[in-house]
Amino acid sequence: MTELLQLLLGEFHAKMLLVLLSATQWTIYLSLTAFIGGGLIGLLFTVLKISPIGWLRRLATAYIWLFQSIPLLMLLFLTGLGIPAFFKIDVPAWLAATVSLTLFTSAYMSEVWRGALESVPKGQWEGGRALGLGFNWILYSIVAPQALRIATPPTVGFMVQVIKGTSMAYIIDYNDLMRWGKKIANSQLDGAEPYIVYPVVALIYFGLCFPLSQWSKSLEKTMSPK
Amino acid sequence: MFDFRFYEIWREPDFIDRLINGVWVSVELSTAGGVFGLIMGLTLAAAQSSVSPSVLRYASISYIEGIRNTPFIVQLFFVTFGLPLIFNYRWPFEASALLAIVLNFSAYFAEVLRAGIESVHRGQIEAAQSLCLTRRQTFFDIVLPQAFANVWPSLTSQFVFLFLTTGLISEIGVEDLTWSGRYIADRNFRDFEVFIVLTLLYVLIVFGYKAIFSLVQRFAFRWRVAR
Amino acid sequence: MTEDTNTGSAVVVEGMSKFFGDFQALYDIDLTVDYGERVVICGPSGSGKSTLIRCLNQLETHQQGTVVVNGTELSENTKNIEDVRRNIGMVFQSFNLFPHLSVLDNCVLAQRRMLKKPKAAARATAMKYLEQVKIPEQRDKFPGQLSGGQQQRVAIARALCLEPQIMLFDEPTSALDPEMVNEVLDTMIGLAETGMTMICVTHEMGFARQVADRIIFMDSGRIVEVNEPEIFFTNPQHERTKTFLGQIL
Ligand SMILES: Nc1ncnc2c1ncn2[C@@H]1O[C@H](COP(=O)(O)OP(=O)(O)O)[C@@H](O)[C@H]1O
Ligand SMILES: [Mg+2]
Repeated sequence: MTELLQLLLGEFHAKMLLVLLSATQWTIYLSLTAFIGGGLIGLLFTVLKISPIGWLRRLATAYIWLFQSIPLLMLLFLTGLGIPAFFKIDVPAWLAATVSLTLFTSAYMSEVWRGALESVPKGQWEGGRALGLGFNWILYSIVAPQALRIATPPTVGFMVQVIKGTSMAYIIDYNDLMRWGKKIANSQLDGAEPYIVYPVVALIYFGLCFPLSQWSKSLEKTMSPK
Repeated sequence: MFDFRFYEIWREPDFIDRLINGVWVSVELSTAGGVFGLIMGLTLAAAQSSVSPSVLRYASISYIEGIRNTPFIVQLFFVTFGLPLIFNYRWPFEASALLAIVLNFSAYFAEVLRAGIESVHRGQIEAAQSLCLTRRQTFFDIVLPQAFANVWPSLTSQFVFLFLTTGLISEIGVEDLTWSGRYIADRNFRDFEVFIVLTLLYVLIVFGYKAIFSLVQRFAFRWRVAR
Repeated sequence: MTEDTNTGSAVVVEGMSKFFGDFQALYDIDLTVDYGERVVICGPSGSGKSTLIRCLNQLETHQQGTVVVNGTELSENTKNIEDVRRNIGMVFQSFNLFPHLSVLDNCVLAQRRMLKKPKAAARATAMKYLEQVKIPEQRDKFPGQLSGGQQQRVAIARALCLEPQIMLFDEPTSALDPEMVNEVLDTMIGLAETGMTMICVTHEMGFARQVADRIIFMDSGRIVEVNEPEIFFTNPQHERTKTFLGQIL
């Protein structure tokens, strides 16, 4: 593999590509953690948001509004620089990045899922209640399965946003694809000019994101109601 | 336990000036980017109509997919540090920032507008045809106003989402709001307070933008409410 | 240009067939409509009525046979389709008013764009036809603020503003609440009295009896029967016509 790359691209560029590809794993780890963590927290707040209890709903509304309003960049600065400076504690870059992206993801995901749940006709709830079913059971067995069809394509689509979002984490020194790309582009080495390095970095991100957006689009076609 | 020292920001007139200037630069660049991005996005969306040559159509789709599937920061760095080397001509970083913003916004706007154009009822186009309007007239007089009205809310939230990413231009030294915050935090070491203030300012700007968008909705799309 | 040939018929269709992909929607249609004639087309849903009249102003293009409208033959590459269309007004089942334009602007737009009329003249013409359809007082409202019947009358006025020689109606009253049907039919009767050439797809048999010179019955993409109203209603020649009339009368 390495030799083939060297043959195709020359030693220098093969090495560059391998460094970038190996940095990509950190982009993937961060994306996956944020997506799964954000998904779980998002799910929790989705349920709170539609719960019959008023103050829980308001709590969820506030949470979703807050973390949709704070720019991701500010979240990164707050967790990566602000909190360490304020509480005089050490927060590793990966932790700050994970927390920020998780919060960011959870807010947008619950917004998407709430929208999906609300697009299920009210009659379904009423029908369930007429059958004497409780809130949890109606949600779990009647409404959620229908909402899932609507929510799946934008959920997959949002993974693209998460991956692109992780590229901001280099700003607090998280060692991902973007950070290594920048390092190499700044190295002043021949063959590592910015107009070579950044397109390569872009291409790698594209390789991660494009399949997901296509998948989301095809889901949209197959899963659209009726 | 919580020892907030916001006064470390207020007490320095230079800091206040930087913040005000930062708000201004952020608003200026994102507004200009929004307007030019909308024009370019419209062009991209129009290039995808079924009557345009397939070369144009594929070029437009490739561009949109390329932008939407790569991070803004990579685009920004390429435009700022790559393009000037290719053209062997240097331009100010503000210009790079604006260019990157326009290139980025346009792809997202194009996608929203395309959906808007497709949402216009076929009967509208047939009515326009039967009244002898040309393709161009049909597009600008009939389809576009309705397309805009139909997707205005999506356009609003898309713009706000994109606006919240523009802080990255501070990375190339453009003195926007994020840059001002980092400038201040580097000097008073009150990162937490500074970024809280910055967040509030971003939220306020978003409120302002949303107000403008809904004002447009109220007046330009009055006909939609009036039913 | 087209004036010379206007002594002939408004519409001459010969051996026309229309396909949507593999599906044949119209079979070998022959139809001649003279100037000043009023023709009503009826038939079951899906029989090709809309397709037929949409072929007359090239909202659909036919594949076989010839269509001559106002002396101009229509084909895929008709360059002067604008010249043909400006002489044909069309009224749709779903009105298709432009929702973002006021009633007046709906009527003014094509005059300004197509005929390049000055604003004042265009407005004057628009008001003239809005008065003809008895709705001048609604000029500043948006279509969404009008009832269905009012919208359809505006649509008729809008088509008349280009002063066409032929008017096509595609089920103009089918989307209306029953109590609004008559106001639209009255407008159409008024139009017929001015001597306008009209081709109407409609199931309003009272209207057909009153104004039609001929009634055309279509089924499965074919013209099955053509007759004067008297004979059509009292003594239909074809079994399918009888069944159809039995269903709707
Ligand atoms: N754009 C189209 N594509 C494919 N089939 C069509 C299209 N328009 C109409 N058809 C078909 O052509 C037939 C005639 O349609 P139409 O002229 O609308 O009937 P009518 O107006 O008499 O109800 C129908 O079977 C219809 O399904
Ligand atoms: Mg029809």
